Amino acid sequence: MKRNTLVLGVVLLILATFAWAGWANWEYRKQAAEKLLASAAKGELVSASAGDVPQYVSPLKGKPAPNFALEDLSGHKVSLSSYKGKAVLINFWATWCAPCKIETPWLVELRNQYAGQGFEILGISTEGDDLAKDDKAGREKQKADVAKFVQQEHMPYPVLIDGDSISQTYGGLDAMPTSFFVDRNGTVIAAQMGISSKDDIEANIRKALGAGK
Amino acid sequence: MNRVMESSRWVAGMALVLAALAAQGQAPMSDSPGRSIAKGAAVVYQYPEQVTVPAGKPSPVALHFRIGDGLHINSHTPKQEEFIPTTFSIPEGSGVRLVKVDYPTGNDFTLPLDPHTKLSVYTGEFTILTRIVAEPGNHLVEAKLHYQACDRNACMPPKTITVPIDVIGK
Repeated sequence: MKRNTLVLGVVLLILATFAWAGWANWEYRKQAAEKLLASAAKGELVSASAGDVPQYVSPLKGKPAPNFALEDLSGHKVSLSSYKGKAVLINFWATWCAPCKIETPWLVELRNQYAGQGFEILGISTEGDDLAKDDKAGREKQKADVAKFVQQEHMPYPVLIDGDSISQTYGGLDAMPTSFFVDRNGTVIAAQMGISSKDDIEANIRKALGAGK
Repeated sequence: MNRVMESSRWVAGMALVLAALAAQGQAPMSDSPGRSIAKGAAVVYQYPEQVTVPAGKPSPVALHFRIGDGLHINSHTPKQEEFIPTTFSIPEGSGVRLVKVDYPTGNDFTLPLDPHTKLSVYTGEFTILTRIVAEPGNHLVEAKLHYQACDRNACMPPKTITVPIDVIGK
């Protein structure tokens, strides 16, 4: 009888150990899955299982757009906060990005169409080439490339440089173009990574303006 | 007595079931339904890991790379000057000198939203043909491949990966 009680006790101990190990492992896996999900939300280039349309869930959606102050091509500081009361499309792009070249003419048209209703675009060049801070020649060349692009595309809205310096505050920008639609209260109401269609952009602009879909 | 034995067996059986469940937790957790899968590195170096060449003489070495599914990178000669070309290099002082690089010809590629503009890209697997001159001895060379990758809708920032090759100059 005593022996059986001992066996039973040992078995129960083993049982408890397995139960604890199972729970601890489940917690670990859950945390790992959450981290994976968070990294996708940070803006990694992702593809749907069946198609190629990138899926992007920004951690900033529904939150105030982080303020920034970046230089435009003339060297003037431009801050997001100075557009308070306006709907703003923050468009991160790069000169080496072919989809950005497709998207830009749409943005120009939409900006001209909705500017009268209190809409503005801030184009932010984000070259992602990790130039050293003291690499003046590299920065000048980059600036010249951006200026050339702006001129070619007749971009009527402010174009700011050094978007890389604020990429982390915008959730990590791992692919271009990435756009954030900010309403008149400064809240991010939509975000989009990659190019979709002019209609999608327009729908989000109208939402940011408070005009619905 | 028998009852105690039976209950011991039952508890032991439960322990085995729980152990099996705990072990199952070690298997990768599947993504939640409908969630897309994050892409890994856009370009992966495949082979060779090691080459033996005559010391001091220019020798051909073919380097094989693979690009992730659904992605492309610019060829060495993109059609537009602002696009970043794929380039291969070997750092100075590594005991191996790169004397010639032959890049593959790019394939024409168009984005669905702009079917009139042709891009020159690599997709899938590609091979860079090099000629190197190795000093006598073993050299663990950390060569570099610089590229910029995109899919049909978005582009990733330019990237430089290390291409590790063990070069033996005999």
